[in-house]
Amino acid sequence: MAPHDAEQGPARRGVLVIPAYNEAPRLAVLLAAIAAQALPLEVAVVDDGSRDGTSEVAARAGATVLRHSFNLGYGAGLQTGYKYALQTGASWVVQMDADGQHDPRDVKRLLEPIRQGECDLVIGSRFLEPTGYAMDPLRQLGRRFFIALARAFGFRVTDPTSGFQALGRRVLELYAGDAFPSDYPDVDVLLTAHRHGLVVREISVEMHAGARPSTLHGGMKSVWYLYKMMLSLWAASSRVPKA
Amino acid sequence: MNEALTLAQLRELFLENPDLEATRWLALSISVLLIGVVLWLVRKRSLREEYTPIWVAVSAGLVFVSLRLDLLRELTRAIGAWTPSSTVFFLGELFLVAICLNYAVRLSRAGTQIKNLAQELAIVRARVDALAARRTEAREIVART
Repeated sequence: MAPHDAEQGPARRGVLVIPAYNEAPRLAVLLAAIAAQALPLEVAVVDDGSRDGTSEVAARAGATVLRHSFNLGYGAGLQTGYKYALQTGASWVVQMDADGQHDPRDVKRLLEPIRQGECDLVIGSRFLEPTGYAMDPLRQLGRRFFIALARAFGFRVTDPTSGFQALGRRVLELYAGDAFPSDYPDVDVLLTAHRHGLVVREISVEMHAGARPSTLHGGMKSVWYLYKMMLSLWAASSRVPKA
Repeated sequence: MNEALTLAQLRELFLENPDLEATRWLALSISVLLIGVVLWLVRKRSLREEYTPIWVAVSAGLVFVSLRLDLLRELTRAIGAWTPSSTVFFLGELFLVAICLNYAVRLSRAGTQIKNLAQELAIVRARVDALAARRTEAREIVART
């Protein structure tokens, strides 16, 4: 199916969504770096119930602040950004993490295929080309497992856990629904988009090691993540027949 | 006499054991007490009316079984259990599993609704803040001119 976000006029606008939970010090640095890029996007920080003044940091930097009254989870934070973008008539969203692992200089490159109407969703991948990104063996194993699992469902991706993405309006409409997970929206939601016939593309980006603890870093959280993701993958594939 | 026959006879002994009036009265008392507690909770608004039918039905079922212990014995025979009390426990466990699943579904739904409300509140608050800022800005411009 052809993507639906070909540029149609000067009125089209986008939102840079940054979900943040207790990220005040790193967020200040990131927002300064974003301001230096003079991006043609409204910056919206979703404060997911922080207690360290994240909202105040974002407001001082001139960002729109969407503040959750309590912690809802990373996925819910992203979804608040999507809903805000939809309600304010935005045509596309770029999402990036608040911990500084994503480089604002890549935002324009990530957004360009969406603006040109070439695809609906662009994933910033650390592994499409060699970028020197170091991942510990356990996370590497988890990544490979999910790549293989996604491939079994007919979807090819090299970086299924990348939070650095650009999304067109049709993806936003899909992701604003109740099926979008509140905790970890990873390969399951990518598969959902793919199954809905949306065009997903990856481009190579460089990333720094994130300050946010990975869900694939061992311990019970990883076990839960594996279980939940496999269940979500099955549910995503059974809800929507392959386009 | 072979062992299988002995077991069958033993089971019949269990099943034919005469009902105790004390058991009947205990079950009846529990049923009436359960209905009383449900009504009391509704009256003090701790339990909403839409959650009561399941408990009223359980109480009614208990009253019925207390009055017709012979039917419970027939059910015990039909499902292959040995004693009516084990049938009651089995039905109780089934009920608990069903009600836990029901509440898990309701909790999931309520969780999604709370999340949607919190997100909507965050968006509305941001838009109100933006409007207020614009209004202040407009007032300042008017004051300057």
